[in-house]
Amino acid sequence: LFSVGFLYLAVILAVYLVAGRISPDKTCQSLRVARSSLWRVLPLLVAVFTLIGLFQTFFPPEIIKDWLGETSGKTSLLVGGLAGALAIGPPLAAFPLAGSLLDAGAWPPAIAAFIVSWISVGVISLPFEASVFGSRFALARNTLAFLSSLLIGLLAGSFL
Amino acid sequence: VSAAKHDRMTPWALLRSQWLLLLAAGLLLVAVATDPAKAQQSLVSALHLFVYIIPLLLAVMGLVGLILVWISPDLVARLLGREGGFRSLLLAAACGMILIGPAYLIFPLLAAVQRQGARWAVIGTVLTTYAVKIQMIPLEAGYLGWRFSLVRTVLTLALAIPAGLLLEWIVERGAPPPAAASREKEAALQRTVR
Repeated sequence: LFSVGFLYLAVILAVYLVAGRISPDKTCQSLRVARSSLWRVLPLLVAVFTLIGLFQTFFPPEIIKDWLGETSGKTSLLVGGLAGALAIGPPLAAFPLAGSLLDAGAWPPAIAAFIVSWISVGVISLPFEASVFGSRFALARNTLAFLSSLLIGLLAGSFL
Repeated sequence: VSAAKHDRMTPWALLRSQWLLLLAAGLLLVAVATDPAKAQQSLVSALHLFVYIIPLLLAVMGLVGLILVWISPDLVARLLGREGGFRSLLLAAACGMILIGPAYLIFPLLAAVQRQGARWAVIGTVLTTYAVKIQMIPLEAGYLGWRFSLVRTVLTLALAIPAGLLLEWIVERGAPPPAAASREKEAALQRTVR
């Protein structure tokens, strides 16, 4: 992600250079807007990173694995969705975890719900989302994403 | 939070604008009190995460600046607003699949696009198909099997647009929608009444 980030940054810088040739005024304005939105978001991001760090240390993936391993059937679908909603981290970290759970005999719909909810529901980043989009949007989106992760899990079960 | 509010920062205003940061600091203090070693470990991993995200964060903010200044609201409305029709939702679904990075970095970007005239359903759809990563499907399949990850991908994509539309409906029921939207809604209401 680090190198990809630099790639994107290089592309954006190139666009700024071209934009500066076309209209220096508008480009300066763009930079001002970029700076002010960075300042607005930065304290929130520092908070989110601290929360993520705390969460990852105090609730490591092994604990989630234990939760999912202990339950079975319908309950595990719900547990999978909830564990995914709480967990935060790149999808790349979710796949090996989910793979080992599948190998251990977990119910596939629960694992599908776990992955979808891991990626699209974020309880830890919910306050941040609310301050960017408004709390109504953030709450509605996360609730919908949670429900559809359960639905996708169940449907996946009937296809697999 | 407006700039004016920042000038005269009363304790209450500080609490209201930075409550998340204060919450994080509070939890960190609790962590330090209960388990200093783990607390230090979590600070290190937070710092690590932050350093990793810096280039992408700067790129995203640069893009936000470009979008808000250079892209005309007319264009955004035409491509991603209600005028764009179903095509705008398909475009949103495609964008969600190729955007990278953690979702919380995409939020400010999408908020900028929304302010320029994109409809809420577009934002919702992007965030739903965000759970599908084209470039990561082979990796996912490596761990979970092709059958599993293809079924999951197809189902996520199929649900994305309905979920986006439903989200828009919920959001706009709470806030007064823009004039054009309310006219549309009234027309739809009258159709159903008839």
